[in-house]
Amino acid sequence: MAAVAKQKHRGKGIRRENEGYAFILPGVIYMILVVGYPIVYNLILSFKDTNVQNLAKGTSVFIGLQNYKELFQNPTFLLILKNTFIFTFGSLVFQFTIGYLLALFFYKKFTLAGPIRGLMLIPYMMPMAVTGLLGQNLFLQDGLINKLLSWIGVGPLPWLTSTATAMVAVVIMNCWVGIPFNMLLLISGLSNVPEDVYEASSIDGASKIQQFFRITLPLMKDAILAVLMLGFIYTFRAFDLMFIMTAGGPLNSTDVLGTYSYTLSFTQYQFSKGSAVAMVLFMCLMVIGILYLILIVKGEKDE
Amino acid sequence: MKRKLVSVIMSMAMVACVSLPVFADDAAATTELAPNDKGAEELTLWHYFDASADAQAIIDFCNEYNALQDAVYINPTYVSRQELMNQYTIGAVSGELPDIGMVDSPDMASYISLGVFEDVTDQLGDWDEIKNFYPGPLSSCKDADGKIYGLPQNSNCLCLAVNMDALKEAGIDEIPASLDAFKEAVEKTTDADQSRYGFAMSAISTEEGTFQLLPWIVATHNGTKTSLSDLTAADAATGLDVLGGFVANGQMSPECVNWTQADDYNQFCAGKAALAEIGTWHLASIKDDVNGAFEYQVALLPTGDEGTSSSTIGGENFGICTGCKNTEEAVKFLQWFMSAEEEAKWATQAGKLPIRSDAEPVYDYEEDGFKMFQEEMNYALARGPHAEWPTISEQIYTAAQKVFLNGESAADALAEANAVIAPILEANPLPEQ
Repeated sequence: MAAVAKQKHRGKGIRRENEGYAFILPGVIYMILVVGYPIVYNLILSFKDTNVQNLAKGTSVFIGLQNYKELFQNPTFLLILKNTFIFTFGSLVFQFTIGYLLALFFYKKFTLAGPIRGLMLIPYMMPMAVTGLLGQNLFLQDGLINKLLSWIGVGPLPWLTSTATAMVAVVIMNCWVGIPFNMLLLISGLSNVPEDVYEASSIDGASKIQQFFRITLPLMKDAILAVLMLGFIYTFRAFDLMFIMTAGGPLNSTDVLGTYSYTLSFTQYQFSKGSAVAMVLFMCLMVIGILYLILIVKGEKDE
Repeated sequence: MKRKLVSVIMSMAMVACVSLPVFADDAAATTELAPNDKGAEELTLWHYFDASADAQAIIDFCNEYNALQDAVYINPTYVSRQELMNQYTIGAVSGELPDIGMVDSPDMASYISLGVFEDVTDQLGDWDEIKNFYPGPLSSCKDADGKIYGLPQNSNCLCLAVNMDALKEAGIDEIPASLDAFKEAVEKTTDADQSRYGFAMSAISTEEGTFQLLPWIVATHNGTKTSLSDLTAADAATGLDVLGGFVANGQMSPECVNWTQADDYNQFCAGKAALAEIGTWHLASIKDDVNGAFEYQVALLPTGDEGTSSSTIGGENFGICTGCKNTEEAVKFLQWFMSAEEEAKWATQAGKLPIRSDAEPVYDYEEDGFKMFQEEMNYALARGPHAEWPTISEQIYTAAQKVFLNGESAADALAEANAVIAPILEANPLPEQ
């Protein structure tokens, strides 16, 4: 009996030290298998010259950074990298500002505010493929958008048949989806700001604008950061919208890293080049992710 | 709380309304696939027949074969074309492939190279009927060493659809038979008041665009035929130059860069284009789609000198996939499926052209149209076979889009394309045709 008790005691010591690892083990295994393996596989692939000629023969060799070098010397890739940033920042600016304004508006408790807020979510809930097809039809030469514009004496604009305007059309469609998403997250951020702070400040004589900039914005910092971060990730890796709406065209003007990586791998069978593009996409998101972490940690320290 | 509930219910209802038509969009088949009652070994067959005529035909043909013999049960599964191509590419690495797979003929060379299809030269090499297959489609089932991986199943090409009423209205008596006459016809039939363009074609940035653009690039000018191997030759840019002029002069919609072949065909049927480039498969529905709005005829594509024409061969092959459960039986099925009799039946039922000379389909509709497409086949160019065809193809539609949208000269755009295509063809030349 005493021996058992002793053993138990000793066992307890070992468990104490290691039980933390046991708890994180499932997560780590999951991450390694489901996230880590594809990334490492992709990274290795991007350093090889695997293509349609040598995949089956297994004769591909390591060529170091050759794929990356070729990509950054390729004007099409540079255009696509630029497109990706224009698309991301264009979408973020509009969907965030409009989403924020709508959030402030629908946070007011007026009749039917709730149901209307719910209806606003429809674009977000719609499959991207449907949004893409919708965009394709809206922006036709004799489509609805040009018809509306003609009433105010503008156009017709070539929208999807011009390299200058196709990106604008795609950004508009993406905002249509992104605005309700931003609004939803920002409303939940707004509800975290305690009412009594406003009451106290209005007793002290703060104006509505002062309240917004001195109370609402600072108290929502975390929510805003999270929204922008999520928005950036979702937008930067966009694929389905342009795949359906423009197929990256005309002349690559709406091609982004996601669609280009797909085209290289699945249409041109240049698997290693496609992987290299995917790695560039991954690295960009990684940088943003690290920035976000730094901001969060810094924020926690300040508090 | 109540408000929240209302909003949730309302939005769910709206989403349901919006998504319903998407789910309801199924290819309607009137007869279903008969079950595997005999318990025969099941061979999966993946295809992307999505037009109502051929979606039904594949089920009928499989039912017929399954009833005919007891060794195997062919189970056809529809996978969308794009998804099917992705599955082959992924399957090349993972090994998860169907037993028999359908593939667009210009893509077959790439998949053979990727190891998706199995070498069946032993089974098909001395089949005496193989000599009856047309060499163009058959060559797309072979690799550079002449090994065979499957059989072509149907073929098609491109012709010119002509709105005879529009032509008459413009004071033209004859269907254009040369590029010059065609240019004049497009010019004269363009009518902004009726919002009608002279010509419609697909120049989309996919293989479909290349399919429709090729006849205008490889054509006969001043007695010489241009070639993909030298896009900087004197007359190589002539056709593309004419097409670019159509867009610049408002005789062809710049939206052609986003149009699939279905779109340009629909423009023609809606009377929005007097002339259009259409495919053989469109004959199955053209009468219903035009619906008596105007007289129409099908003619050879006037891509160059008078009396010459050029077109592109399209069509689908069926290959035996690597790791097929029963290669012998799968090949036997293909031999039956592509027999002269079944080929003729398929061609009439699905509105295609047969791939063997001894198949004699009796079309009971659009006889003249089919005759014209059969004649056009003599001038039609096969794409490849070449493992790097997708890269060549990309250069062709990109060159055309540069001309149509950026107003670049056809010669410059093709010279840029040539800079990419020439080294590829130098390493692995295109076969003679």
